[in-house]
Amino acid sequence: MSTEKVKEAIAKVLPDVETVICWQGGFDAIHATPCFVSSPEQIDKVIWSPLCAQNLASYLPSMKKKVGIVVKGCDSRTIVQYMQEGLIDREKVVIIGIPCTGVVSVKKILKEIGHEAVLDASFDGSGSITVRTPKGEKTLAIADVCPDKCRTCQYPTPLVYDHLAGDPITSDKPKESVYQDIREFDAKTLEERKAYWEKELDRCIRCYACRNACPMCVCQDSCIAETREPHWISQKLSLQEKFMFHMIHALHLAGRCVECGECDRVCPMDIPVSKMKKKINAEMKELFNYETGVNPDDKPPMFTFNVDEVKIKEHKL
Amino acid sequence: MRVGVFICHCGNNIAGTVDVAKVAAETRKLPGVVYATNYMYTCSEPGQEEIKQAIQKENLDRVVVAACSPRMHENTFRKTVEKAGLNRYFFEMANIREHISWIGEDKELNTNKAIEAVKMAVAKVMNDKPLYSSSFKVNKRVMVIGGGVAGMQAALDCADGGLDVVLVEKSPSIGGMMARLDKTFPTIDCSICILGPKMVDVAQHEKIKLYAYSEIEEIKGYVGNYQVKIRKKATYVDWTKCTGCGACMEKCPTRNAYDHFNFGVAPTRAINIPFPQAIPKKAKIDPTFCRQFTKGKCGVCAKICPTGAINYEMEDEIVTEDIGAIVVATGYGLFDLDKFPEYGAGRYPDVITGIQYERILNASGPTSGHILRPSDQTEPKTVVFVSCAGSRDKSLGVPYCSNFCCMYIAKQAILTKDHVPDSQSYVFYMDIRSPGKGYDEFTRRAQEDYGVKYIRGRVSRIYPKGKKMVVRGADTLLGTQVEIEADLVVLATAVISAPGAANMAEKLHISYDTFGFYVESHPKLRPVETNTSGVFLAGACQGPKDIPASVGQGSAAASKVLSLFSKDMLESDPAIAQVNINACVGCLKCVKTCPFQAIKEEVLRSGKKVAKVIETVCAGCGVCTSTCPCGAIQLQHFTDNQLLAEVNAICQS
Repeated sequence: MSTEKVKEAIAKVLPDVETVICWQGGFDAIHATPCFVSSPEQIDKVIWSPLCAQNLASYLPSMKKKVGIVVKGCDSRTIVQYMQEGLIDREKVVIIGIPCTGVVSVKKILKEIGHEAVLDASFDGSGSITVRTPKGEKTLAIADVCPDKCRTCQYPTPLVYDHLAGDPITSDKPKESVYQDIREFDAKTLEERKAYWEKELDRCIRCYACRNACPMCVCQDSCIAETREPHWISQKLSLQEKFMFHMIHALHLAGRCVECGECDRVCPMDIPVSKMKKKINAEMKELFNYETGVNPDDKPPMFTFNVDEVKIKEHKL
Repeated sequence: MRVGVFICHCGNNIAGTVDVAKVAAETRKLPGVVYATNYMYTCSEPGQEEIKQAIQKENLDRVVVAACSPRMHENTFRKTVEKAGLNRYFFEMANIREHISWIGEDKELNTNKAIEAVKMAVAKVMNDKPLYSSSFKVNKRVMVIGGGVAGMQAALDCADGGLDVVLVEKSPSIGGMMARLDKTFPTIDCSICILGPKMVDVAQHEKIKLYAYSEIEEIKGYVGNYQVKIRKKATYVDWTKCTGCGACMEKCPTRNAYDHFNFGVAPTRAINIPFPQAIPKKAKIDPTFCRQFTKGKCGVCAKICPTGAINYEMEDEIVTEDIGAIVVATGYGLFDLDKFPEYGAGRYPDVITGIQYERILNASGPTSGHILRPSDQTEPKTVVFVSCAGSRDKSLGVPYCSNFCCMYIAKQAILTKDHVPDSQSYVFYMDIRSPGKGYDEFTRRAQEDYGVKYIRGRVSRIYPKGKKMVVRGADTLLGTQVEIEADLVVLATAVISAPGAANMAEKLHISYDTFGFYVESHPKLRPVETNTSGVFLAGACQGPKDIPASVGQGSAAASKVLSLFSKDMLESDPAIAQVNINACVGCLKCVKTCPFQAIKEEVLRSGKKVAKVIETVCAGCGVCTSTCPCGAIQLQHFTDNQLLAEVNAICQS
């Protein structure tokens, strides 16, 4: 996990591509922000640390020329899914993979430090972050402030890459843990689940941040949440309409959500929006034995038309 | 917008359990509705006249008829409004008969539901857009799938009507089940003697192109323009050279190959011609038994063949035929003995099926027409027939009657007496079903003239006792148990759908019932049409049927094809998918999911990638519309907004 190795890789790739998409420091010490490196002198500002949470792969479908990109293991699933869906040309992407042991959630850190202004932050290399605020210093274990996806991460090393900045690492998290939260949630009664979602979704302000940050949302500005033709939902800020919007987003991601967690990360209202998508992914795994963004040669089940599916017995004969 | 609503009494069918006057009164209150009335029979001529007059008098621009299922009369009323000057798609039908009056008895609830159904139809019709069909050329060639008697009849009638016919048969010879029968009821005329000339006609007709030992691989296209891929299965014999001399069959050292034509009554050779009258009369190697394939050496047939026709390297070949209509005549299948553990499940050689007995009776069968039982090749003196072996038995999944078993049992019993005059036949039956012309007289003749003993009751068990088979059953008329020591037992096994029937239906995009029989467009009025235009049914693929009915359907299907092809151009259905290129984001999920390959990628001048629907190929199934994430692809006449209007009409009130 060293910034130097990433920089070296970028320097190597840069002559071949228009730009390299990577991270740089943000407006304070606990934020990173995406940056586009197009000349060697810009390489200096590149950083790599657990702050680099954004899924940069989201930029790829809009890139016209050949680009380089730095990805973590989880981000690489987005690229694999793009390849499956034909949304990018693999020839036009040079991938610098980083084996990653986990990133941090800014939201969780801010909660821990009581939303104080951050003066400085440092990582000690043994899995903790020390944040300095006007009220003093606080050392937090990364394991405690990481996004939920890191807790069950199965792919710490990118699944596709052209250059690997570091040595491959394997996951030490059990495979069954991935959908453990979904199974627990499913065990609740219908009323409990309904009450849960009504409480959570009622906060939604329909800012569409979750949709706009989603790497797999292909419609973006043509979203049927905002069109009149067809007019599926109105602009009314009722729970019903909010529910409908989130259902549409979840269903549009059936068998496509790469579980990058960007929707959760960007939600200003802290709604666990990724949970619905994860639930559908669990079903897709069960029904079609399909896991998104793992093998470039897979076919997403919703991209095919089969008269008979192995587990769906519509046609009994 | 001026909507007129016509509520039909359908005699008492609707008015009996729906207050139609109230429905009309409530309908008048709906926004947009300027005229609503109820009428005895809206589909009758005066009923249609009333619609036309109302359109003119009330200046209506949209029409709703609340009556029966649109499958029945949608087209009738579309024509009516068109004649009155409206676009035919400014019409909606609310089904208040099948969906409401026939299924509920509470008049008040029914009336409320009918009002809601009308509300939905009004909401839909107010969102309807005018649509116009375009016309396209018809390829006047017809394909007949299945070379049994129904398929042959359809092929001959079409060919005699001047059409080019492609006949595809999956087994090595045409003839189907009828070619296997010995005699036919109720006339006892030789089956192959009446079928043979037809088979020769098929072979010699210059308008018929026969693909024997071939199967349908893929069907693409639409009525008037189908492209069908046919798999010509490898026979390992070059049929252009084979003369059908049979020398190979004589010398083949493999004598234990399964005889599909004779239903395994006796083994055959690994290279064989199924029967003497086979068309085409060509040999075929069965690679599961042939030594050249199983052991890698033999080559006897290749050495003996006078024309050098044997080719062990032969592979399946795919050919494509362009055609305009399809007649499906894929026939039926039969239950295997293994379905009947109580009758030995096939372990007893002297318990056989009706079709096997047919082969034993047949002069070209393995016993050359002498009745010899399989176990010891002796003449049976006591023969027991068991009808409904599987048929009308819900526990075996066959609740229906197999149609022709009662008749062939009577025939086989008569033939048994003819062949073995000192024999005695018994028939266990549930009911004797003989409603055809001359059929009941025939079953009576079996009993009265040939002394066949009919026992009304079912057989509970069959077990061996020495050289005999004991048939234990009930005689429900006497109220006793009976046991008959038989030499031979013949089970009239249930008629089921042909193997692979469901698969074939999927390729054809036609419906099939839970038993695998194909579903006709209307059980009474459209018996040979399917709901896929250009695809017609003939024979037992639609349900168990005897020869006259199958032949009748073959001719009926041919006449449907001929009338379809009497036009040079056909009108396309405008209710197909359409892409809004401004909304399309070019994800092209629709291209991948379209079951008809009707959508392709198009690059606009701006460089933007969008989906494009090939109008003539689109079948209007709607898979793409549910796939499109941004709603850019919409099925015309069933757009999201039109359907949402219907939903809102009943949910937001």
